Amino acid sequence: MAEPTVTHLGAGWYLVDDGHRRWRVAVAGNTDTQWVFVDGQVATIETPRPGRRSGRGTHAGVMSPMPATVIAINIEPGQAVSEGQTLLVLEAMKMELPIRAPQAGVVKTVACAMGDLVQPGVNLLEFE
Amino acid sequence: MIAGAGAAGIRRVLIANRGEIAVRIIRACRELGIESVAVYSDADRQAPHVRAADFAVHLGAAPARDSYLDAAKVIAAAQAAGADAVHPGYGFLSERAHFARACEAAGLVFVGPPSSSLEQMGSKVGARRLMVEAGVPVVPGEAPADQSDAALTAAIARVGYPALIKPSAGGGGIGMKIVRAATEAADALAAARREAKASFGDATLYVERLIERPRHVEIQIFADAHGHVVHLFERECSVQRRHQKMVEESPCPALSPSVRQAMGRAAVAAATAVGYRNAGTCEFLLEGEGDIARFYFLEMNTRLQVEHPVTECVVGVDLVRTQLLVAGGEPLPFTQDGLTQRGHAIECRIYAEDPAQGFIPQAGPLLLYREPQGPGIRVDSGVAAGSVVSVHYDPMLSKLIVWAETREDARRRALAALRDYAVLGIRTNIPFMIELLQHEAFIDATIDTGLLDREGATLASASVRELPEAALAAVAEFRRTGGSPAPGPSSSAAAVAAGVDPFETLRGWRG
Repeated sequence: MAEPTVTHLGAGWYLVDDGHRRWRVAVAGNTDTQWVFVDGQVATIETPRPGRRSGRGTHAGVMSPMPATVIAINIEPGQAVSEGQTLLVLEAMKMELPIRAPQAGVVKTVACAMGDLVQPGVNLLEFE
Repeated sequence: MIAGAGAAGIRRVLIANRGEIAVRIIRACRELGIESVAVYSDADRQAPHVRAADFAVHLGAAPARDSYLDAAKVIAAAQAAGADAVHPGYGFLSERAHFARACEAAGLVFVGPPSSSLEQMGSKVGARRLMVEAGVPVVPGEAPADQSDAALTAAIARVGYPALIKPSAGGGGIGMKIVRAATEAADALAAARREAKASFGDATLYVERLIERPRHVEIQIFADAHGHVVHLFERECSVQRRHQKMVEESPCPALSPSVRQAMGRAAVAAATAVGYRNAGTCEFLLEGEGDIARFYFLEMNTRLQVEHPVTECVVGVDLVRTQLLVAGGEPLPFTQDGLTQRGHAIECRIYAEDPAQGFIPQAGPLLLYREPQGPGIRVDSGVAAGSVVSVHYDPMLSKLIVWAETREDARRRALAALRDYAVLGIRTNIPFMIELLQHEAFIDATIDTGLLDREGATLASASVRELPEAALAAVAEFRRTGGSPAPGPSSSAAAVAAGVDPFETLRGWRG
């Protein structure tokens, strides 16, 4: 396939010509995470870094998808957990939100406490 | 411009709301030469509705109960700003009779019905009784004065199965329980009571026959202080999720002219029965379609509706402008005979929620925001690039409304507009909406209120698509330049240099 040509149109918009057709793409974010829009579809991707896997386990920890309150902590540092095990329960907008282990591992630290208001993008706990 | 030149009486309106509807009302005020006063919470200091208004008054902390729901603060703000009228919008205080009364007592014109209408329609049981007296068809049901298990169970048996238990003071589907057999009654009653008590502080229940696969069709009505009551035809609102509407359209594809006329007459009778004034909506359940369809009164919404723009598009009337004129004492600027429907309009509600994760509401900053434009496309929004979507309020960001000559043309126009609607920084239901508008049931208009409950999960997973590789090339360029505005062509050689794996796929990543 031909090399795509990218023209920055300004304000986060790019015109990409892939040799077959032209796409209008919007990108926003920071050096770690980018949001990308094309034709009504949206994705977020992470900049690959040495020692970091892309995809779900990118951070060796878990995060809240939204601002929420911690209402249960089911694990403690040093504990071994299996994939899918409920580690924490958060509450947001009157809904309970279980946070499950993305993979089997050993909990290194718990970075939140009962009743904490936690923000997205911040690790709630770390694995060894 | 001379203030108050357009609407008799009203000179300065306080808009007791936020988001897209506050912006919408401010626009109508400006056209009429009425001054607008916005109110805002700590979370909304920089919000578009605050910037758009002529004046702005701070109410309090971000939680709605400390700001937009605090009637005393809102009335004090109106008086401090020298407003002579209050427009409540929808939600918040719009249907609280005590707020309308407090406005009346403070000498402020409430842009809406008299507080007595709010009271009469606020109780579902009372409203139902009134409608029966006015000859408006209602779903077969009973509201027993004796609220014991035995009396309610007997009422369920008389109404017939499947039956639906509903809290009298309710809304939003809370406390509603389906009973398909006598054995289920006891558990359902206990659960409905608990939820009704917890959510509304009132455990009174009533019982209705459940209409299976109904459509939700509502009639817009308008009444003035001079004895005129008219209807502005229907809106079809069957596409809803857990009683939250998602897509609305007008006309309703299932209505025959004779049923449409009968529903319009029933809605006018309902409004007349409660001495209604200003804009209101009668919600009906529609069973079947064509000339044999039957309709049942559901409830009356005593305010402007979120979905009012589809009526504006099809009927060619500005409902908010009309609200201000009527509140100022003017007669309705149109008559029933002069109103017709033309073409087809569809509204898509854009929510900050992630359909792929059970529609969890999203919060955060809008890193990039661009609305679609073009003939027949209207976007009513309460956000802009840089806005921070807060957890404190309803997650609806905006409404995309399209109009075209036919339903299919409108559907295609809506699809094209959705594909051109860029929101980055938080997840929205736009990709979901794109799938929904291409679903066979939507294309064929064979929709009912259960559609999203049945198909929602399938549509949600279909909406997470792989992006074209072209998107990756743009991301690579963004990484290379740090997103700084350096317009000019580049090539994907830079992508390789920036360390983007060309085989990396762009599935919606989530952490």
